[in-house]
Amino acid sequence: MQLLERVGSTEFIGREFLAWLWFKSETGEGSFPLGEAGSVELWYDGRIVLQSDQDDRDEKVICLGDTSRSREARFALAERKAVTEAKIRLSIGDNEWSFILDATWLNFKSFKTPRVVQDDKEDPDGLFYEKFYLIEQALSALDAVFSSFIKLRLSADWEARELPALLQWVGEGK
Amino acid sequence: MGLIFGSGSFARYRVEGPLPEDYLEQFPERISRFTFRNIDEASEQERSAGWVNIMDMFDNRLSAMEYLKEPCIALSWRVDVRKVPSKALKRYCREAEEKIKESEGLEFLSRKRRLEIKERVQVELIKRVIPRAQTYDMIWNLPASTVIFGSVSNNLCDEFAEFFMQCFGLHLKPVFPYYAAFEVVRKEGMDPALVDSLRPSLWEVE
Repeated sequence: MQLLERVGSTEFIGREFLAWLWFKSETGEGSFPLGEAGSVELWYDGRIVLQSDQDDRDEKVICLGDTSRSREARFALAERKAVTEAKIRLSIGDNEWSFILDATWLNFKSFKTPRVVQDDKEDPDGLFYEKFYLIEQALSALDAVFSSFIKLRLSADWEARELPALLQWVGEGK
Repeated sequence: MGLIFGSGSFARYRVEGPLPEDYLEQFPERISRFTFRNIDEASEQERSAGWVNIMDMFDNRLSAMEYLKEPCIALSWRVDVRKVPSKALKRYCREAEEKIKESEGLEFLSRKRRLEIKERVQVELIKRVIPRAQTYDMIWNLPASTVIFGSVSNNLCDEFAEFFMQCFGLHLKPVFPYYAAFEVVRKEGMDPALVDSLRPSLWEVE
């Protein structure tokens, strides 16, 4: 199967992942264990794009502002629109990152790390390594959350418990 | 602003195939063949792309292997483009056509002739255009076989993956949800066919 064909036929995985993340963060379960690295907390923040999962592929709903209070975004989700892009905040300990995550490619837009204090004139390598470490830390954390989602999605628990709870929460948006 | 100096957008890739054992000998030569070269101002060249120092987009010598930042190779892909503004091209073409019509006593010019004039004017004008430079950071984590590339434009990402392959002889595979799921399953020692068995569930059960 060609790459673009594969991406298109499996884009529901990324869309379900973003919907599940939204559900977890809104129901107080947005904290995920990272083993020895502690835990990561994720929540939606400020921008969400929803698109019909069915035929009207050009019809998009873009909501800005406080996502948790956005009735329009929740209504669109309840009306069978899929989350295609969301601005996410991620925190580990005292550090906080923000980025827009795209459901189709898992690309990152407007990726911001915590502030780096290194001086690039004095120590350019120090700046590079600090930035690299911060990027890798966020990516590893997100990979761990994605991994939890996939393992759950492939388990019997998905159909038995998680999906009914998720659908109930989605339905409450109407 | 690139990933190192500010905020940015990026796509993720997995490098397919093993890292050559002699990469420390092999890569400097490969990288130097693909470093950025300035567009020759007197030429008709419209585009130039190649590696520059990730910390300094004007450094394309990379003489001290500054790109080797263990455990990574970190470079910026610089792309310079110069393009004649379409309105300027139209204006100069019209002026050139009028001159020819007047000197040759013609009322109309054939399509073929107008195309020839356009090509000539384009060649003349392109030499006067200052190139627009863009850089896109690339960080290759060697032991993890992962690459992040500082753009999410599909066309640019495709072009970059091709450039990477030409430079290093290694293919880049984009990390999209299906592929990421496949990697999770592989790491967990589960059956990879499980990922292929996934079907949309969110709207199927109601």
